[in-house]
Amino acid sequence: MQTTLPNPASGYDRAAELQRVRRERLQTALIDLSVTLITILVALLIGFLVLLIVGKNPVVAFQALLTGPLSRINRTGRWLEDATTLIILGLSVAIPFKARQFSLGAEGQLYVGALVSTVIAIYVPLPPVLAILVPIACGMAAGFLLGLIPGAMKAYLNANEIVSTLMINAIIIRAYDYILTYILTAPGSQTVTSADVQVFSQLARWSDMLNLSLGRFNIGIVFALLLVAGVWLLLSRTPFGYEVRMIGSNEKFARYGGIDTKKVIMLSFAIGGAIAAVAGSHLALGVHRRLIPGISFGLAFEGIVVALLARNNPLLIPITGLFYSYLRVGGEIMETQASVGSEIVQVIQAVIILLITAQVLADWIKRRRARRVA
Amino acid sequence: MAESLIEMRNITKIYPNGVRADNDVTFEVRKGEIHALVGENGAGKSTLMKILYGLERPSAGQIVLRGQPVTINTPQEAIALGIGMVHQNFMLVPSFTIAENIVLGTEPVKGGLIDRKTAGDRVRQLASHYGLAIDPDAVVDAVPVGMRQRVEILKALYRGADVLILDEPTAVLTPQETAELFAAIKQLVIDGKTVIFISHKLREVMQISDRVSVMRDAKMVGTIDTKDASEHLLARMMVGREVFLQIAKPPAQRGKVMLQVRDLEYVSEAGVDILKRISFNVYAGEILGIAGVEGNGQTELVEVLTGLRPSIGGKITLDGEDITNHSPRETRQAGIAHIPEDRLTNGAAVTASISDNLIVDRYAKEPYTKGGLLKLSAIKQLSDQLIEQYAIRTPDGSVDAGALSGGNMQKVVVARELSSNPKLLIAAQPTRGVDIGATEFMYEQLVKERNAGIAILLVSADLAEVMSLSDRLAVMKDGQLTAIFPSAKGLTEEEVGAYMLGLKQQTQLEIEKNW
Repeated sequence: MQTTLPNPASGYDRAAELQRVRRERLQTALIDLSVTLITILVALLIGFLVLLIVGKNPVVAFQALLTGPLSRINRTGRWLEDATTLIILGLSVAIPFKARQFSLGAEGQLYVGALVSTVIAIYVPLPPVLAILVPIACGMAAGFLLGLIPGAMKAYLNANEIVSTLMINAIIIRAYDYILTYILTAPGSQTVTSADVQVFSQLARWSDMLNLSLGRFNIGIVFALLLVAGVWLLLSRTPFGYEVRMIGSNEKFARYGGIDTKKVIMLSFAIGGAIAAVAGSHLALGVHRRLIPGISFGLAFEGIVVALLARNNPLLIPITGLFYSYLRVGGEIMETQASVGSEIVQVIQAVIILLITAQVLADWIKRRRARRVA
Repeated sequence: MAESLIEMRNITKIYPNGVRADNDVTFEVRKGEIHALVGENGAGKSTLMKILYGLERPSAGQIVLRGQPVTINTPQEAIALGIGMVHQNFMLVPSFTIAENIVLGTEPVKGGLIDRKTAGDRVRQLASHYGLAIDPDAVVDAVPVGMRQRVEILKALYRGADVLILDEPTAVLTPQETAELFAAIKQLVIDGKTVIFISHKLREVMQISDRVSVMRDAKMVGTIDTKDASEHLLARMMVGREVFLQIAKPPAQRGKVMLQVRDLEYVSEAGVDILKRISFNVYAGEILGIAGVEGNGQTELVEVLTGLRPSIGGKITLDGEDITNHSPRETRQAGIAHIPEDRLTNGAAVTASISDNLIVDRYAKEPYTKGGLLKLSAIKQLSDQLIEQYAIRTPDGSVDAGALSGGNMQKVVVARELSSNPKLLIAAQPTRGVDIGATEFMYEQLVKERNAGIAILLVSADLAEVMSLSDRLAVMKDGQLTAIFPSAKGLTEEEVGAYMLGLKQQTQLEIEKNW
């Protein structure tokens, strides 16, 4: 947030200024928080009105939406399982976003991660622990390489990353479908799925460990939280993170200062790709324990929302990830309990996202204006 | 005496950051004349015209149009009053045809759709009337720069402009296109239009204008009839200063050759020769100034030297080490520090903290990075120390650089660059846009570094500045050095100005003698 300093003609009381800046920062933080809360309230209100208009009982529907994920333990499990994937995906896009690269490649990277890690988890016999780590690492390597392609195209050929990542997604998803249908599905099988992954490669479920019916919620959340710490460390405490932040702040300045901007931009795509692949592994090894068609169902784009809501701050991503998946799961419950169509659920979710991202946009405009005046 | 059409009276413009772009400027334009407005970059001429065109609002002063006081808040209001402006950077939709661009916003409509035929016909008619050759059906993207400019002029005329402001119209044109433009301008005047022509190319001003107004340092120096003017007179009005900033400077203790540049060539992405076999030396303990009207290759020279642009020929040596086409990081490691001409675009990241701004050239080195991690305590120590040493007005280094005033932002840049202990310091337009206090600070720093034995290359369009700071002085014109003077002492501004404007040129032998 901008803090402006007065320019006294003479004398400069640093201690007083420091206090003033700190006070302003606290104020800005409080204002930010309250604006966010108000935004959510307004969005819910609009959703409420939408429900009224379509002639549903908004009270019942909202009860389902707002309390649904906590109403039964298996629903809570569904919420946390969804949040795990969304947190990982949010982290994956936060890295290129931080460098101001609008990579939309997480979807394809997720598929590649799921495919590679599952193939290894099915066919390569490995001892416990390694049977989890090796497939995930291989999936990450594949995601990294897949991210490298649009990254290199952007950095060295100035190809628009939005177009290139979407095109690559299309190719990867078709390839995934083909491999799953014609190679991994057992001949004569009734459904299109791969074989189950080996037992040691399955991410253990909390329901088995805790004897609670938490559904498919699994130890993937541990990986997600480790990644939160890792991405935070990477972005705020390493030279690479510094380079990413400077490129995001002013690419020309970064280049002038000696940063190899092309390399860093390319790597930001690739590292994002490696993390998105973990989300794929989580779905394949933890949630489904095999490959199914359309394993992501557009989740990667929800990950973008999670990152945007957190303003690409890795420490906020678990919060926004939990929040957003709460809405998603609450929406599912609303759909079944209040027989509200999924379209309406999506409209309400979209309104919330729209309002919140509009606030992010307003911030961005504010900054731009401040810069122009300066 | 012709009637006056526009009078801008006592116009003052102060930007929010405190920069005074126009200071009590009075400017008068008569109906039917070609009035040239000249001055160095930053003299305030563009701001004055932006005020007239409604892009900026004056802090004080009055505009009188055809005898009536008017306020112009937006370009739309200016256009309604018959004032049109052609900007230096064209504002056209590249994917639209020329006719579409010209009628944009006031399209003839038939049945709810744009009537392309009528639009094309009107545009064709207008173009042929003024002798502005264009192809209405061509897409803007595909036509040369000269035609795009004619499109901009037609756009203004189409909207009924009586007064046309042309902002450095010839900067992007070839000599032939310039001749065509001048013919068109003459036709406009015959037709009763009035033209304000912003330029710093004095030869063209002498050729085309009826009267010339000269601005310098945000003030109006004066207005004279072109027939009474000469390029030398105008040059002196443009750059001459009553008061020099006095700089105490002991004699240079010139050491070894620090930077050696030989036959350096650079071709722009558009394929234009920008640097044409440039050669010179900078010695330890001296300031070599490069004077010249902006846009003669100085920016590119600095960027080639610092690794931001690739040269296509020639050799750059720093302290005996070949650094030709090294990356920005490699040139920094070799010992070049760089105060860039555009500090907001290149020199600082305004949305990053001051500390982050201070370490961009050294974050990856010890003690700022240890064991693969940034060492925040070392970074804080450095930033606290530099903030203290350079008296940067901020509570601490965690504040965004964008919150600083222009002068303090410049201090951040200077603090970083000088604290890197360079062998060569390149300072490009180091005092542009900063106030007197910050200017003096900059001068002190440059002289101090020079006295400490650092080689300094000073590139500045401010003639008084380069002349008083430099030990040796080179002049750049059209991508070449047209003169190198072994001492800046005893030179007059007129003399240097003559080389800047290409009226005089040293022989190759004279230049080589003073490399």
